[in-house]
Amino acid sequence: MAEPNTNQMAAGRPTVAEALDGLFNPRTIAVVGASRTKGKLGQAVMALLKSNGYSGKIIPVNPSGGEIEGLAAVRSLEEIDSPIDVVVLATPVGVALGALETCTRLDVKVVVGVTSGFSEAGEEGHENEERLRRIMQDAPFRLVGPNCEGVVRPASDLQLTFSPMFNDLHPGPVAMISQSGALAGLMALRLGERGVGINAIVSSGNETDLTAAGLLDYLGNDPQTRVVLCYVEELRDGRRFAEAAQRLTKAGKHVVAVKGGRSRAGSRAVQSHTGAMAGDDRVISAVFRETGVIRARESVAAVDAVTALAAGRRPAGNRVGIISVTGGLGVEMTDLAESAGFEVPVLDETTQTALSRYVPFYGSVTNPVDLTGVVLANPTYVGRCLEAIAADPGVDIAIAIITFVPDQQFIEGMAEAYDSTDKPILIVWTGSARSNASGEALRERAVPVYDSPARAASGLAALAATTGEVT
Amino acid sequence: MTPRETLENWQRAGRKVVHEADAKDLLQRIGVPVPQRDPAHGRCVAKLCHDDYPHKSDHGLVRLGLSPDEAKQAAADMAERFAGGTALIEEMEEGSVAEWIIGCKRDDTFGPIVLAGPGGILVELIDGAEIRLAPATPQSAEAMVRSGPGARLLGGLRGAEPADKDALADLISRISVFFSENADLISEIEINPVMVRADGKGLVAADALIVLSPEADEQENFT
Repeated sequence: MAEPNTNQMAAGRPTVAEALDGLFNPRTIAVVGASRTKGKLGQAVMALLKSNGYSGKIIPVNPSGGEIEGLAAVRSLEEIDSPIDVVVLATPVGVALGALETCTRLDVKVVVGVTSGFSEAGEEGHENEERLRRIMQDAPFRLVGPNCEGVVRPASDLQLTFSPMFNDLHPGPVAMISQSGALAGLMALRLGERGVGINAIVSSGNETDLTAAGLLDYLGNDPQTRVVLCYVEELRDGRRFAEAAQRLTKAGKHVVAVKGGRSRAGSRAVQSHTGAMAGDDRVISAVFRETGVIRARESVAAVDAVTALAAGRRPAGNRVGIISVTGGLGVEMTDLAESAGFEVPVLDETTQTALSRYVPFYGSVTNPVDLTGVVLANPTYVGRCLEAIAADPGVDIAIAIITFVPDQQFIEGMAEAYDSTDKPILIVWTGSARSNASGEALRERAVPVYDSPARAASGLAALAATTGEVT
Repeated sequence: MTPRETLENWQRAGRKVVHEADAKDLLQRIGVPVPQRDPAHGRCVAKLCHDDYPHKSDHGLVRLGLSPDEAKQAAADMAERFAGGTALIEEMEEGSVAEWIIGCKRDDTFGPIVLAGPGGILVELIDGAEIRLAPATPQSAEAMVRSGPGARLLGGLRGAEPADKDALADLISRISVFFSENADLISEIEINPVMVRADGKGLVAADALIVLSPEADEQENFT
């Protein structure tokens, strides 16, 4: 089948890598549609760029000139006579297309099209889409989007977006590619809350030029990336995506993907059993499995998976040790772990002896360990029990379940237990929001913390997938 | 004529579905074992192959367990009822321990893929096919016969003889390579069932179907 050949391009057009290098460490950014008027996209983009501390040169572009966010605006892109790494289009579609045409005559590396009104707008967007494609055919730059929420790179203090959902992220091992900006926002916010660091986020929108496959290849090759999280509705060059994913997973990195929406076709006449048996969704699951991509059923489950993987600890096997301050949650976690194919084995005698120093007679030192509420009396006990179970030679993954927490020392104790081992540890903290303790010690280590056993089970499943065979 | 040239000729002649007899001729040329044709002795199968009727048994176009003479008579009767068909008389494969399906198609998202799993009537019963990107490497094909519910069937359930997994993996890989090399001409290829004999004894393709792609200029109107 003829694959779209994105390598064959106009002379002088940057490669995907050249364009993205410029995008993630830009010296100069021009914002077309920069505005002083609250509520306009261009106002939000300018404000977020400034408030997140981006230190390069920002040039607002606005036909009425003047000053925007304390910076002198140019009236048109043509007034800029230096090379521009990134042009952001944050105007209505007609103006944006005009500016894009202007870019073809300037020294621009990459354009980020926040503007909407193209193929996603159906009939009405059709003409805009045609014009966009004509311009991009020979354009000497690359395009992110259009119809996207932009790009975020915490290590460069770069927040090229109108959405405040990406505020306060810190650098780290997770790269994100999302065809939906809103889902990228949701996932970024949740990861940020857990202390999981972000390498880069690209809201890829309509993917007229740069596709999820190209972005996956680039972001996966970045030594800072350990996990790539993808939300895709339509894989435009699925073959390249699968091949890039396979390269990453073979190199020991992880790809977690949510495939939203139904695929095209479906109603085509089927002549053979093969056609009927290899339906779109089954093929996606099979190819993802073959290439090592962990498929999550929805965005929050994907975040739960990424949280476990971002910690960077791989389990040696599938044996889980569970301690809980309450019997019920321990039982629920055990059920979920076992139904996902994990073992919850009998603990080593040494471990049982160590635990019995803290557990009262009405608790249990067999796996799952019921510490009972008594352990809450001493803030260091749960941490010590976690350390003991993680040290058990028959345990590959340790899970600690806590509800409310009386004081800070309690959390510090768990953080110390986390530091005492290289094994993956997951924490289920059902009462985090109402506890008298901050989770900061856990957040700064990016310890995977979940608010329910079911969500921890998504993390557990992702850890299991890392031990699977990738052919 | 190379197998590719044969495919091009068929496409040029406007064929969409290539019937079993022609499909088997082609597959035999790329090394796929097929049953002996027109045997002088033993039990035979008589079929009438026709592009318009790929599901032969639905139209009463398959007769099993005949003597060579009965088979000739049956084939002649069927040919009278369905003009333009090709009669096919083959030796009946009776030494197999498992029936398998091997199929390839172009997926909208990922391009060429290959599928393999329990075949024959089990296709309707067990949702147990393994799917991989095509062409499947020998290791990948190997993994396909060792994964999923089908693996247990091939291993020999309850004392049954284990099937020739190596021959099956080799066939999966071979078909997937042929399909991938010609995926511009073929949109689907299917062997169902492959009669897999006991370990070390090989296999034979009992039925086959090739669905051709429309010619390039037709394709533009197609999408």
